Amino acid sequence: MPKQLVSLIIDGQSVSVPAGTLIVDAAKQVGIDIPVFCYHPKMEPVGMCRMCLVEVGRPVIDRVSGQPVIEGGKPKIQFGAKLETACTTPVSEDMQVVGMSEKARTGRKEIVEFLLTSHPLDCPVCDKGGECPLQNLTMAHGSSESRFKFDDKQHQKKHVPLGDLIWLDRERCIQCARCIRFQGEIVGDAVLDFFRRGRATDIVTYSEPGFDSIFSSNTTDICPVGALTTADFRFGARPWEMNSAASICTHCPVGCNTTLNIRREARSDGNMVIKRIMPRQNEQVNEIWLCDKGRFAHHFSASPDRLAKPLVRTGELVTESSWEEALNLAARSLVEAKQDFIVLAGGRLANEDLFNLKALADGLGGKAALYTHMGGGYLTTLAGVSMDTNFGEMGAGTSILVAASDLYNEAPLWYLRIKQAAARGATLILAGARETKLEKYAAHVIRYAYGDEAQTIKSMQKSKAGQAAAEALASAQNLVVLYGSDGLGLEGSASLAEACAGLLDMTGHAGKPGSGLIGVWPHANDQGAWEMGFQPVADLAAEFKNKLVYIAACDPVGDDPALAEALKSARFVIVQELFQTETTRLANVVLPAQAFTEREGSFTSGERRVQRFYPALPAFGETRPDFSITASLAQKAGLELEGTSALLIMNKIASKYKSFEGLSYARLAEVREQWPLVGRGDIYYGGAIYANTQGLGTRLALLEAGSLPGTKPVESKRPSESELLAIPVCKIYDRGVTVLPSTLLHPHIGDASVSLHPDTAVRFKVQAGSTAQLTVNGTAYQVKVLVDEKVPASVALLPRSMGIPINTPATISLKAA
Amino acid sequence: MAHILLRHRDIPDINKLEVYRKNGGFEAFKQVVTSMKPEAVTEVVKASGLRGRGGAGFPTGLKWAFMDNKNWPHYVVANADESEPGTFKDREIMENNPFQFLEGVAISAYAVGAHAAYVYLRGEFWQVAAFLDERIEDMEKAGLLGGKLFGTDYELKIYTHLGAGAYICGEETALLESMEGKRGQPRLRPPFPPSFGLYGKPTVVNNVETFTNIPMIFSKGADWYKALGTADSAGVKVFSLSGRVKKPGNYELPFGTTFRQLVYEHGGGIINDRPVKAIMAAGASSSIIKVDDKALDTPMDYASVRTLGADLGSASVIVIDDTVSIEWVISKTVEFFKHESCGKCTPCREGNYWMMHVIERMEAGEDVEANTELLLSVAKQMQNKCLCALGEFATMAVVSGIERFPDDFTTSSIGGGHA
Amino acid sequence: MRVFEPLIELARGLGTTFKIMLEKPVTVQYPEQKKPVKPRFRGRHVLKRYDNGLEKCIGCALCAAACPADAIFVESAENTDDVRFSPGDRYASTYEINMLRCIFCGFCEDACPTEAVVLGDNYELSFTNRRDAIYPKEMLIEPAPAGTLPTPQKVPPGLYTRSVPEMKDPQD
Repeated sequence: MPKQLVSLIIDGQSVSVPAGTLIVDAAKQVGIDIPVFCYHPKMEPVGMCRMCLVEVGRPVIDRVSGQPVIEGGKPKIQFGAKLETACTTPVSEDMQVVGMSEKARTGRKEIVEFLLTSHPLDCPVCDKGGECPLQNLTMAHGSSESRFKFDDKQHQKKHVPLGDLIWLDRERCIQCARCIRFQGEIVGDAVLDFFRRGRATDIVTYSEPGFDSIFSSNTTDICPVGALTTADFRFGARPWEMNSAASICTHCPVGCNTTLNIRREARSDGNMVIKRIMPRQNEQVNEIWLCDKGRFAHHFSASPDRLAKPLVRTGELVTESSWEEALNLAARSLVEAKQDFIVLAGGRLANEDLFNLKALADGLGGKAALYTHMGGGYLTTLAGVSMDTNFGEMGAGTSILVAASDLYNEAPLWYLRIKQAAARGATLILAGARETKLEKYAAHVIRYAYGDEAQTIKSMQKSKAGQAAAEALASAQNLVVLYGSDGLGLEGSASLAEACAGLLDMTGHAGKPGSGLIGVWPHANDQGAWEMGFQPVADLAAEFKNKLVYIAACDPVGDDPALAEALKSARFVIVQELFQTETTRLANVVLPAQAFTEREGSFTSGERRVQRFYPALPAFGETRPDFSITASLAQKAGLELEGTSALLIMNKIASKYKSFEGLSYARLAEVREQWPLVGRGDIYYGGAIYANTQGLGTRLALLEAGSLPGTKPVESKRPSESELLAIPVCKIYDRGVTVLPSTLLHPHIGDASVSLHPDTAVRFKVQAGSTAQLTVNGTAYQVKVLVDEKVPASVALLPRSMGIPINTPATISLKAA
Repeated sequence: MAHILLRHRDIPDINKLEVYRKNGGFEAFKQVVTSMKPEAVTEVVKASGLRGRGGAGFPTGLKWAFMDNKNWPHYVVANADESEPGTFKDREIMENNPFQFLEGVAISAYAVGAHAAYVYLRGEFWQVAAFLDERIEDMEKAGLLGGKLFGTDYELKIYTHLGAGAYICGEETALLESMEGKRGQPRLRPPFPPSFGLYGKPTVVNNVETFTNIPMIFSKGADWYKALGTADSAGVKVFSLSGRVKKPGNYELPFGTTFRQLVYEHGGGIINDRPVKAIMAAGASSSIIKVDDKALDTPMDYASVRTLGADLGSASVIVIDDTVSIEWVISKTVEFFKHESCGKCTPCREGNYWMMHVIERMEAGEDVEANTELLLSVAKQMQNKCLCALGEFATMAVVSGIERFPDDFTTSSIGGGHA
Repeated sequence: MRVFEPLIELARGLGTTFKIMLEKPVTVQYPEQKKPVKPRFRGRHVLKRYDNGLEKCIGCALCAAACPADAIFVESAENTDDVRFSPGDRYASTYEINMLRCIFCGFCEDACPTEAVVLGDNYELSFTNRRDAIYPKEMLIEPAPAGTLPTPQKVPPGLYTRSVPEMKDPQD
């Protein structure tokens, strides 16, 4: 329902805004700056800093008639004696706001003076210096001289680690509570608060460990001073010294828009390096936020362990070689293999890389497969979300079902946005075998035993808890279903996907704008692979036997050492990678690829949004982009593929795949004005977040669904009395190749661990905190035992990518070490 | 004249339930619950002209009438966070005439349809809270609280709640925040408590003394009450008299009593019979009244005190004689407000801290003239910018003190202190 | 009379010659002799130290920001009381000036919040290749005053917390 419009005049400009809009926002919409410190457009106003003082005049209402008094044909306006805060005052009809009067300006000047009395003025050594709202607003509104004696300043600790990622400078803090409110209102991890009162007011953390939130670094963006800074960027560079390039985060399927800040660094032998990653506004994807993993897990791109030159194996000997030699050898083997080859692609690859790999497999008659532990993706290409779906606008009328996914760990920004959608009135339903963080905000929770995922969704009405949920789903105007792979392997998740797609179909939501199925993929571009027709294979070992195997951007042997034997039985192995992995060690030819930071390309997010990323750094060593490597290989094997320009490949993708129709790099780079305005000029308003000038991306079109194909039901694994079933789960900070090089995150990654219910721990005679021996597929591993009442009985939660191969639920044995 | 609020001064042991009841106690509550509609109760209070005794003087009946009837439940909260320096009336009432206060709370709760009422006491009043808890228990045992009151369906419970000892929690929205278990910091207003109060529900917040007036209004009638005091300020008021007087203490007097009567007739005059130099009529948050004969003869009611450039507030009259330096007085008030500022809004948090430092420099003899000017300028700079009224209060004594007593801010007078 | 005219001219010329011969010479025998520079002379940069030997430079890179020729490169790192280069949290771990780029405008001096970088008296800059034109911190920083330790120093904890000292109005 559109809100009633209210007209008012701000500094001589007429504005019409919806009723309830605050003066500060109304002014911003017509380009008038009203300075603020504590106000933030994403949060409720608090009126603490008093910076946004304006004169407000309202029409005089005649007491008798209740009508505005007219004077000279115009309503008579009466201005209040006091200045009012624009951030807490909603607009009203015929209001007149004056922000440029002497009185208002003096008021602001005086507030700045007050704020600076307790500020250390150490801008030269402050990481915020150069992009600091206090600095900017002092220049714009403050006095050039201080009447406050420096010796009277209160001296406080300047280096207080709130957690190991965020540091607090107590002197610089101006007590605006933006960080506290962000954690409480937006994230729901209320781990910060004020301590003491008056001038002694401090920010403290109440969590153990400190500042225990995966969104903590956003507070440094919205902090209007340099009080909160990241440990990663501490004294890294001055903001103006860095170049920036637009990019997309590759750690999960959300596809957060980022800006990479780069600078030449003496410490890194004079190379260009990423100094920090900042969120880039995209109100459809990540708004203005970024999770800590996305911000801090970037060090892999500059890791000296990267592969710099191609490697070629002769017998046992592995030597560095020229590209020519490596490609010739690989191409010769490819030709010799005829159609007996398989291309195995990881979901980390860009759309352009995947297109070329698929084209190579199709052109030469081989097979192309997606390396993943999560199935059912083709259903998202048929019943996925399209143009009109935006978590940021969902509210009453929308139901969101999250099945078998721990979004906080798997796709943090979706967690954040779904939590807020629920706060706006969307009905959130969680189906899971264990309690996850999002459950606090759910209207209905459906609990099932591991193994019953698909069945639970299919027969939701049958359970009591499910019935209410099913009604909420059926009656919803829009229905968005997210499914994940918490405790599921390839078959189980495919089966769950089918059940979820069936649910959309049954409730009449399939193919409807505003509704659809979303896969919570393990990688950034799994969706892109599914869109291009990649399918996972069930039995990799069988596929490898006697074939040429061309692996790009995945490490199957590292994930499952049992595949090593299978790979040894392959006739030839070509691996395209960033790092030496267990898989590259078994390769005949290793081709060094460029990281996404060094090249152009595009990713397709889980919400089917295609977004461009741009090169930020020069290529590492002799590395080449994946699409280019594939094209060179294809050319030597007699197949012409585009290998020089990612842009041209995108054009080809657009003409080949119906869902990509009409897409081009130019379209992906289109931007529109987004609300709230953030970026350089408006730094005080939205924070130091980058404005989006390089492209908002475009949603893929929805294919005509027709009837959704079914899969055969899978037998779910059940533990017997004496056994223990290991359940693969996702942990945000894992030992993945793109995470581990960021040493800053190591305390959060920790050791390989297994989580058990207290009863289960007693049954297997292991104690909380102790080390136990865990045997899976005949190999024993040392793991730390964690005991948690929330873990279902008779299962062991085993995080993926933590050094223990686990992709699907498997029976394990466990004993005290 | 017999006391209306401080009835314990006339009737011994009125803090015992049977004594209070023997003297007509809870008749008003019974009459109200059994025979009056809630709206009619509010009308009576409106008609009595009763105004809030906490300091702002807002008409009590009007406040009750503002309660949002579309949002339920309703709450009643008694503000017993008596923290203003120079105010000590609520404590005396609660300790000695507790039932009259609690009866007032109960009548108010009935008037607004509340089934739970709270008494919010400052942390230092833990003994008073324990005492009140016992009195509430007495009432429950006697069937004056709980379910099915006087055979009707009306039920009411009263609870005490202890704060942690913060001046700011006397501000009604900060009080509500504190009761909800949050930091005691004022909320943005509007919305006001009658529409968005405790836990977001409509809430009446009144001062202890305000509530204590209510039973008498019902037992003796609104007209009787209105006839007391002045046209603008109806009824009686407990004046807390302190400072350089011979007999400091609480004095229950009708509004309109002059300063001279209070200080000389009731307070016994000034110690050593020195002349009155200044009066702070509302505790530490007052403008300092420069006293001359005209000021002394000014009647104490809300409107007349305003003609002296000050407010009556909670009527905590601090008398200052010519042995006391005004500079010393404001150093004390600023120190108090610096300590009590909650830190939520910039001007109060930073301004008080700054003023304290300026005063310290001044007292160390550092450029007194320039520092006085700076102090005045900082205080004026705080005015009209703070989030709540307490930030403004902090500047009252400073601005009025410097402007009205410039002679106390010279190099030679600094460090004069007090006798 | 015409006969004498050249002689007169000759005498006048020689007169000038003899006069100059008797005057003090204006040239100096550089490099054996060096003329003192003017007080405001802008020569090669020097990074100053405090009397206790700590570096004045805090690595803020404002000089680099002010530099119109982009001749200065600064990278900073964090001080601890055990390994202290400068007062406060931050010091310059890398400080380089490319003397080929520098135009000796002195903006860096103006920008410096601690008066750490000062254009000194040295004008004898010569190098035989471009790399040598980049003067690193080791070349720019003045030696520690007598009786003080070179940086980094180990200092008592909590003594040097302030990066930017209280500044007076600049004087010549």
